Amino acid sequence: MSPDLLFQSVLTGLTNGFVYGLIGLGIASIFRGTRIINAMQGDFALIGGITAVLLLERQGWPMLPAFVAAVLIGGAAGWLLEVLLVRPLRRRGGTEDSYLLLTLGCAFAVSALVLYFVGRDSHALPGIGGEGIVVIADAAMRIHALWLIAISLAVMLTLRLFYSRTSLGLSMMAAALDPQGALTTGINVPLMRTLTFALGGLVGGLAGILVGPLITVYFDMGLLLTLKGFAAAILGGLANPMGAIVGGVTLGLLESIAIVTISSGYKDVIAMVILIIIMIVMPNGLLGRRTRKGG
Amino acid sequence: MPSTAAGTKPTLLWVAALLLWAALPFVATRHMVDLLVFAGLYSIAGLGVAFLLGQCGIVNLAQSVFYGIGAYSVAWFCARKGLPVPVGIASGIVLSVAMAAVVGWPILRLSGYFLALATLALGIIAQVLFLEWDWITGGTLGIGGIPFIEILGFTFDTPARFYFLVWPVALLLLVLHHNLLHSRAGLALRAMRDEPDAAAVLGIDIHKLKVQMFMLSAMLGSLAGSLFAHYVTFVSVDSFAIDRAISFLLLAVLGGVYTVWGPVLGALFITILPQWLSRLGDIHAFVFAAALIAAVILLPEGFGGAVTNWWQRRRTRRA
Amino acid sequence: MKQSLRRRMFLPLLLLPLFAGIPACEQADDQPVKVGAVLSLTGPGAGLGGPERNGILLAQKLINERGGINGRPLEVIIEDDGSKADIAKSKAEGLIHGENVVALLGPSLTASTGAAASVTNRIGMPQLCMTGLGPEIELSYKSLFHMLPPQSLNARAMLEYLSKGLNVRQLGVLYDSGYGQLVMTHIENHAGDYGINIVAAEKFEVGATDVSTQAAKVRAAKPEVVGIIATSPVPFRNARQMRITQPIVSAVGSSSYEYVKGMGEFADDIVFPEFIVSEDPLPHQKEFVDLFVKEYGTLPKTYDAAGWDATHVIAQALSEVGPDAGSEAIAEAIRANRYRGVIASFNFAAPDMTGIELESYTYSKLVDGNYTRLPFTAK
Repeated sequence: MSPDLLFQSVLTGLTNGFVYGLIGLGIASIFRGTRIINAMQGDFALIGGITAVLLLERQGWPMLPAFVAAVLIGGAAGWLLEVLLVRPLRRRGGTEDSYLLLTLGCAFAVSALVLYFVGRDSHALPGIGGEGIVVIADAAMRIHALWLIAISLAVMLTLRLFYSRTSLGLSMMAAALDPQGALTTGINVPLMRTLTFALGGLVGGLAGILVGPLITVYFDMGLLLTLKGFAAAILGGLANPMGAIVGGVTLGLLESIAIVTISSGYKDVIAMVILIIIMIVMPNGLLGRRTRKGG
Repeated sequence: MPSTAAGTKPTLLWVAALLLWAALPFVATRHMVDLLVFAGLYSIAGLGVAFLLGQCGIVNLAQSVFYGIGAYSVAWFCARKGLPVPVGIASGIVLSVAMAAVVGWPILRLSGYFLALATLALGIIAQVLFLEWDWITGGTLGIGGIPFIEILGFTFDTPARFYFLVWPVALLLLVLHHNLLHSRAGLALRAMRDEPDAAAVLGIDIHKLKVQMFMLSAMLGSLAGSLFAHYVTFVSVDSFAIDRAISFLLLAVLGGVYTVWGPVLGALFITILPQWLSRLGDIHAFVFAAALIAAVILLPEGFGGAVTNWWQRRRTRRA
Repeated sequence: MKQSLRRRMFLPLLLLPLFAGIPACEQADDQPVKVGAVLSLTGPGAGLGGPERNGILLAQKLINERGGINGRPLEVIIEDDGSKADIAKSKAEGLIHGENVVALLGPSLTASTGAAASVTNRIGMPQLCMTGLGPEIELSYKSLFHMLPPQSLNARAMLEYLSKGLNVRQLGVLYDSGYGQLVMTHIENHAGDYGINIVAAEKFEVGATDVSTQAAKVRAAKPEVVGIIATSPVPFRNARQMRITQPIVSAVGSSSYEYVKGMGEFADDIVFPEFIVSEDPLPHQKEFVDLFVKEYGTLPKTYDAAGWDATHVIAQALSEVGPDAGSEAIAEAIRANRYRGVIASFNFAAPDMTGIELESYTYSKLVDGNYTRLPFTAK
């Protein structure tokens, strides 16, 4: 195997890794704020992506407003999910598993609605920098992929600052860690939970317009993204905001290097076996601190 | 209401249910009976998922693995090698239980979402291997020509006939499960679930117990898969993909993991409802998802929990 | 207490009709002739099943406008198997024993076909499936007929073009683990006969969202031409993004307007050995294409045509021997028929149960997102 090919596999692995990481970031954010694993995070991306597709293709909007609208619609979806469904379930005594099933049901519903109203075609969203590529040492990378990586890192840092520096972020953390205590200090805990979901929706919508140019937007993209994003978030450690990105990149690189060094047919087997081993050897995740095992 | 009636009424109810059960294949359409057979198969596999979750707190997304091993064992030994039916079913169970022990030992040290992810990873690994090892599994093409089950010259070759095979098996397993929960092992399980630290002090080897329960669950999955193969007489990889594992978990949670017969209700829901809704046309997938969401919100303890609560409320009101 | 017991018995009895079906009506002369169809309308195979349904419904409409089956209307009852073999078998059971259909169309996928055929074979019911020849056991089935060529023929049609059309020797292949794997097995078997050397063969899972690394690996092997066999636009995009500039040759199952749309600006310089180029139909395809465009407002492709052809084949056989002639007579009529379909000339008595010849292939090329017919023909 040539070094060129190995380098190429690292670049594509990085690209895919940030895709997984961006979804994982949303899952981890919602988990940090509410202790709920959101099985429709990938479908937030579908909502964002398909909104952008419809605005661009059918309404003829320019790119920037369409993308901004797509991200906002993603946030609105998160907001609605919490207010309309998660909150009533909490009132009726939902368990960890029932939240998982609830969001899984929402994932099915979103996918089914997109299939019904938009159809089963894949839509290629325009990338930032179009279809242009940069060539580094005979390895190619989409310019859009570089933007995806840069924006993902920016989102990660923003979230980190948001949670540690702003009073809203601190309130959201407090509401998650100690709801009773937060209530007594005057924090509106239900509102914080709603905002957490809205934030997850925003990150998901953003993921949609960023991954759309790479993997295209289609009705059943959500669950697959969620699975990989879930793996990324858990692998990195749910408690650490940087974890999801690190976990995602690890997963992406594992897959990609497995293809060039061993066999493309066994890519998933290799990635999943190593994933299990990492979890056993590092029970707090790659960047974990002393937290509950497995979140 | 006289108190003497309390004993006879449930008995009569059971008799009525039994009669209804026995009459169904003669009055229902062949297609409906076919769906009920699948509900029976899924109940068996789902039972394994349900008690792992209910008794040990283990989210199992790998039941499709054992369902597949059971089915492929039958395909390999009965269709390819022409060996008798019990060989296929037994080898599937032996293989699944051994696999569950080997894989379960390391991964059951994990807990929470780590464990869920690990079982999901197992499901994905198996899905790829079922496809790649096509000299055993037939890959995308699948394996056909699996014989029907025959006992004393009676062939279980129609939905109605298979109905009378799968449901007695399912009910027997439910009864055994009920007995297990009320045995010493069941007590240990509950101690492990509710007070893990105290259980450890009492000398219960929690990890070993978990692995044993995982093996038991795998056995149920394998048995369901073997019966499935003998019923459909054709196996291919799409029946053992990760979405099947998700539906097993779905039926367990929907049915309610704290009641013995919850999985049966869950299995009926996920087999019959989509079928019934498909008459609505292309929108049916959305309606099913909406029904699922409504069920989760309105019945947080699953169908089983809801029915039990209702029953108990009725009783206390009468007493 | 008696009262409450009655109430309790009443509830289960109320539930009974839920499970019971509508009793089958006695067949009268003006009763419709029922044909069942099991198609993949949802799941990974929906890209096949959807078009097949369009073709079937259009053919049914036309046949009924022209007098139906000996004066009786034709009714095709379509069921979805969700792209799963076990469900396909259930649906076939339901149609055959519940709806009393006289023949079965579909399924759309090879595994589903195998499962459904185990039902039809037991009772000798004619089944016209929308797939190519599957596992070996199908050769022993007497009432199963294929509307599409066996994968070995698809592989040879591709190799014909490589060796005689492009005159190249070094082939790299990107293929998925479903349809791609089926065709790839036969490309490996036949490549030697055409003097073609497979320098790289990279696989990816069905529904993969990114196959860039596999594409890079194929590119690194420096092939003269790249074969892509998949049921999604992803590998075509990734191949071009990874700077595979060589011509791409694909297979009939990868040719659809849906995928072309997903390929975007990369839908260029891709050759398909297939059967219908609707932009430029052959004379015997014209009527179908015109009717299709009138009905749906879009152009048809192979799987639309397969649904149309299958419906016509069964309608001809039913008209010939009468709809109540029984499975054996209907199957015999299908075997005797030499139907000139939109896809090809069929001979269902052939050993591969379809009788499609290499000469039936039409080679199309995507140029700037549009299909054009190539002058090349396989001999």
